[in-house]
Amino acid sequence: MKDRKETTPLRRREFLRVAGLASGALGAAAVAGAPDAAKAAAAPDGRKTSGYRETDHVKTYYRLAR
Amino acid sequence: MTYVANIPEEDMLRARFYGLLARVLAAPMSAETLTFVRGLQGDDTEMGRALATFASLAQRATKTGAEEEYSELFFGMGAGGELGPYASRYLTGFVYEKPLADLRETMAEFGIAAADGLREPEDHIAFLCEVMHGLITGRFGKPVGLDGQRSFFKKHIQPWGTRFFEDVERAKAAVLYMPVGTIGKLLIAIEAEAFEMAA
Repeated sequence: MKDRKETTPLRRREFLRVAGLASGALGAAAVAGAPDAAKAAAAPDGRKTSGYRETDHVKTYYRLAR
Repeated sequence: MTYVANIPEEDMLRARFYGLLARVLAAPMSAETLTFVRGLQGDDTEMGRALATFASLAQRATKTGAEEEYSELFFGMGAGGELGPYASRYLTGFVYEKPLADLRETMAEFGIAAADGLREPEDHIAFLCEVMHGLITGRFGKPVGLDGQRSFFKKHIQPWGTRFFEDVERAKAAVLYMPVGTIGKLLIAIEAEAFEMAA
């Protein structure tokens, strides 16, 4: 079973490649253009979750990735 | 940029497909989106051909034409769109049903909220694709890992996504959006199989 554990992630990666996800020039712009309908939720006490603070980095990434 | 760089290449590819679907299904295409789609390229795989078809149709489409097709296809909620791109609609025949309530519960668990001003119910296919994109890239915090992605996908997308995208493929009003149906259908099939491998 130990073997299986080590090889399945590789099998999955290989599968994703050959299954067609690497089939196109799908640039980072596809990410950049994703709409902003969802966001990290604020914690109930009004404090932002740790995730929320990262959105600025994400925005930067989107900008750079264009 | 660092945490994005930590995401394996295959997962970034998955995220980009979800991002593409979210982008073209959330709203009528902007000029920028149309330009982007026109530049898509694909190889000779089924997915690659769907991308290339989408690009060549977009090259011949006008922004107004694309908007009209989007409206005819998706402006549901009583506005007469051919398809209702909502999980509740597909699974129960009505909008604002239990699938939406289940989704809201999952989103609360993951700490994801709808952005202010979102007027559609969150079980819209574009929203679900955006959530998958965010779960993979860590846009809502840390990436949730494959287990979380699999659970979200199995619960909220897999039960109806294939039927929805097949409906897009053969919808009467679908010309430009026809390959979007193909891309979505293929992505769901690939995801389902890949998640099984990692299980």
